[in-house]
Amino acid sequence: MLAAQNGNGGAYRRLLGEISDWLHRYFQRRLPPGDVDDAVQETLLAVHRRRHTFDPHYGFGPWLAAIAKRKWIDQLRLLGRRPTEELPGDLAEGDHEASVTSASVLRSLLQELRPAQAQAILLVKVQGYSIEEASRETGLSVSAVKMNIHRGLARLTAFLEKPSDVE
Amino acid sequence: MLSGLAAAELGLLLGFGMMRPDMGKMIASPYMVWKLGSLAILAGVACTVAISSFSPTGQPRRGLMLTLALALAATVAGAFVAPGSAENHSLLDRLEPVHGMLCALSIVVLSTPMIAILAILMRNAAPTHPTGSAVASGIAASTCGAFIFAFCCPMNDPLYITVWYAVACAAVTAMARWLLPRGFRL
Repeated sequence: MLAAQNGNGGAYRRLLGEISDWLHRYFQRRLPPGDVDDAVQETLLAVHRRRHTFDPHYGFGPWLAAIAKRKWIDQLRLLGRRPTEELPGDLAEGDHEASVTSASVLRSLLQELRPAQAQAILLVKVQGYSIEEASRETGLSVSAVKMNIHRGLARLTAFLEKPSDVE
Repeated sequence: MLSGLAAAELGLLLGFGMMRPDMGKMIASPYMVWKLGSLAILAGVACTVAISSFSPTGQPRRGLMLTLALALAATVAGAFVAPGSAENHSLLDRLEPVHGMLCALSIVVLSTPMIAILAILMRNAAPTHPTGSAVASGIAASTCGAFIFAFCCPMNDPLYITVWYAVACAAVTAMARWLLPRGFRL
């Protein structure tokens, strides 16, 4: 700091870099993450504006810590003044847990089937396609689609009857 | 700089012949020793507290408490230097409100240049407790003003001095507390 006060630009740049790291650690323990950078910048500006007040007889650490503490208090006051709005009571929506769980279980069950069977069941039984539409979509004949659905559902039923395999 | 300004103000007052006429007779009396002595001590301590609070590491709170304790001690000491004729008068006679207001106003006027100097010093320094520093500056300026005015004040009643000087000091301190931190940014 003494070298910086005497006009040594390189020393001043190095000093600001070093104290910037220290200030980041200081404010990270005391402020929300979004306010840390602002507090560091404010403190660096204060150090720059008031650098002539540093007295080398009293050490740099306490001088910097006193300024950082002041800026921390200022930042806390700003946080207190920041406007907050109450959330409306009807913001919450219905519970999706059941449908999410069902979708997850169905996906894991369909993985147990052959791909053609899984695709036929997904199109016709889940997404609401007709047999003909599913036939056009998959490129299989109508009877092949019906057979895949029939065999797939039979396989799923058999699979579900073994409780230890589900979940 | 502060003591230079105080000396200049005192020199101007004395130069214009505004010193109390019986100063030669009264200067060695216990009352005058109490008045000038306690105000000089208060002014010295308050100025030291104010200037030391301009450093980032300065903590004005302890110094302010010391200054207040000294002011209280000076007030208590004033009870022992009461002039002989004071007890025979009523409280209103002793306080002399019209004259007292004039004294208080004079102290405020004498303190104003001190506040200006302390405001400049504060803004060029880096106080981390601007409000405390402003209060300390107000007390310092007002006690300096009161000390200078004490050479001119013809009143010989410690109650009068305590009340009206305290009123003036409170007014100057409130003014400094309101003015000095405004727009200050570390």
